[in-house]
Amino acid sequence: MDSEASVPGTSILDGSAAYFDGASSRRRMVTLRLADRLEIVEGEQTLATWAYADIRRADSPAGVLRVSCLTAAALARLEVRDTALASELVARCASIDDHMIGRRGIATIVGWSVAAAVSIVAVVLFGLPLLADRLTPLVPETFERRLGDVADSQIKKIFDAKVCDNAAGQKAFTKLVTQIRESAGLDTSVQSGVLSSSIPNAFALPGGKVYMFDGLLAKAENADEIAGVLAHELGHLKHRDSMRKLIHDGGTSFLIGLLFGDITGSSALIFGSQTLVTSSHSREAEHNADSFAIDVMHRLGRPAKPTGELLLRVTGKEGKGLSIISTHPLSEDRLARMSRLDPPASGPPLLTAEEWKALKSICSAKI
Amino acid sequence: MNEMSWPPQVPPPPPSPMPPPMPVGFSGSRSDFFHLVKRGAGLEFVTLGFYRFWLLTDIRRHLWANTLVDGDAAEYTGRGKELLIGFLVAMAILVPVYLAYFLAGLEAEHIQAFASIPLVAFFYIFGQFAIYRARRYRLTRTVWRGVRFWMSGSGWKYALYASLWGLLSAVTLGLALPWRTAALERYKMRHSFYGDLQGSFEGRGWEFFKRGWWLWLLAPIAFVVYPIAPFIYGAFKAIEWRWWLSGIRFGDVRLESSLPKSALIGLYWKVIGWIVVLGLVFSVYLALAAALVASMSGDAFTEFFTSQEFARSIPLLVLMGVGYLVFALAMNIVIRVYLSRDLWVRVLGSVNISGIEAAANVAARGEMANALGEGFADGLDVGGF
Repeated sequence: MDSEASVPGTSILDGSAAYFDGASSRRRMVTLRLADRLEIVEGEQTLATWAYADIRRADSPAGVLRVSCLTAAALARLEVRDTALASELVARCASIDDHMIGRRGIATIVGWSVAAAVSIVAVVLFGLPLLADRLTPLVPETFERRLGDVADSQIKKIFDAKVCDNAAGQKAFTKLVTQIRESAGLDTSVQSGVLSSSIPNAFALPGGKVYMFDGLLAKAENADEIAGVLAHELGHLKHRDSMRKLIHDGGTSFLIGLLFGDITGSSALIFGSQTLVTSSHSREAEHNADSFAIDVMHRLGRPAKPTGELLLRVTGKEGKGLSIISTHPLSEDRLARMSRLDPPASGPPLLTAEEWKALKSICSAKI
Repeated sequence: MNEMSWPPQVPPPPPSPMPPPMPVGFSGSRSDFFHLVKRGAGLEFVTLGFYRFWLLTDIRRHLWANTLVDGDAAEYTGRGKELLIGFLVAMAILVPVYLAYFLAGLEAEHIQAFASIPLVAFFYIFGQFAIYRARRYRLTRTVWRGVRFWMSGSGWKYALYASLWGLLSAVTLGLALPWRTAALERYKMRHSFYGDLQGSFEGRGWEFFKRGWWLWLLAPIAFVVYPIAPFIYGAFKAIEWRWWLSGIRFGDVRLESSLPKSALIGLYWKVIGWIVVLGLVFSVYLALAAALVASMSGDAFTEFFTSQEFARSIPLLVLMGVGYLVFALAMNIVIRVYLSRDLWVRVLGSVNISGIEAAANVAARGEMANALGEGFADGLDVGGF
């Protein structure tokens, strides 16, 4: 019993512990001498002396004090199970917890994380649109055309759609597109066509392709309605919106993906915030394309209002207020914008009645 | 020690402060762990997830430090900062990789629509590489008796093995899985070391197959009758753990596990139960938030909900987003407590180690690996402890 640390008297500065020298896994039972420095003694031999200032706490189960030393082997460990000895030792080591992440450390992590998150959000909201604007003109046309070809074959596969081209309909369609294209100031590289699908929609692909689904023609009542839609899509082409969207959306999903990380269920959050950002950007692009379409129609001396009416017919009334997750502005608002300042028709009709009829039936079998 | 004489029948404490050697034990308190993950979830909330590197590290430190083999606790020496750096470097590498992937996909699509889909295989291989390198990082941060574990071998070679075996498993509808696991474990363990003690894996694919084939037959039923899925998955994991642990060797040190098949099923049900409870709380919260916003908008309730205005109200969306984040973090606490800590304890409790004398005097060897693999694993969303 006289070797015990708890025996009162001189031996309060001594005690036994387990020592691992970091060079082998051998467990040595040692005696600790809490002198000027910590002396680790096995039998008669002093195995090591550690300066108190260099001693650091290592992870251990409850009830065990485990320490390492900055100047010893990185994995050398001393394990003290005697609580009295442990507290004696801790009392001497002023810097024992210096390497732990304390409140300050946590505050630093939180501070930097918040700064990083704010910076990511700022880049997504302000930096990426700017970047997309600047980068888009630098992307070579040939590259964009390649993208368009890829999207082209994918879309035809997904919608199982064929190009409609019975002669009379195609002639009318070409006439219509050419008038709009020339008024829009686009060159002949623009390709366009009608696809056989009942979905009422039209879209522009990167690299100068505009497609209209037959379903939209079916809903249209006159050539002005369709002309405005085509002008809108040509507006997307002129602004190279699909390239811009690609850069913008790609950047957005990458940056937002940096947040949240491995939290289970975070994908819904990532998806949600991504939708918010990209749809706001998309609404802006749609707004600009609308302005472009209105401009083109007026230059042709035709009203833009019919296009707005067609849109409303397709989507139905969308209710009040603007949804922050919709990709397009509200159809009511678009109609209102297109009706505003609409001058009376001054130019000739874009298509004759026969041509319009032929266009409407472009997807039906050869007449 | 003045009290020693009273009461007299109590024997004096043993003179040696060392507890008797025990094969494998776990000494961590559940409430400590709960506190740790609760605090961590709060910090993840505040930091929008960036605290994950430190939380993951703290979880490992807790589990490692309370795992006692032959009376000595292990230690995890990895740090959150290493994971952060690994993540950042991995991101810097992944960005050009993603860009190259996009361009290659574009070329492939140009030849044939949807021809780029096989390129996903590249990310599968990359994910396997990440898994190997992440394991190497964790292993080199694992220390016991002042000697670290470490790992050699090539991550790319492993990724190739794993992918070829993965292909075979897919072709055989999962029947080859036991042999895949055995082959990959053999590779991993052959390249794992404790000091100068080389690891090996003695588990046979056939053994694993014999124990689990009936689950393979039951699995299709689980797609129709959902409630049996946790039973099947729980039994499968228990069989896998037992088989895996029983195959691990380091020199003459042999592990043996006696984990019963039913050992983990309860844990999965508890997690499901908690998620249901949390889901209910979340729904009630949503209803309250909607009612609050509706009452503030001044419209009549029914009018507010019939016009789609509630889907457009920004305050409501913010409340929903915050509520969902809290819900997700609470779910993470549940998963970590049951499927990290409790599972760990149950599995450890089943382990017996023989020949531990062989580890009594092992010379330290091996270098620390960097956390790049963990960064890739995070960036590619492939798991691991």
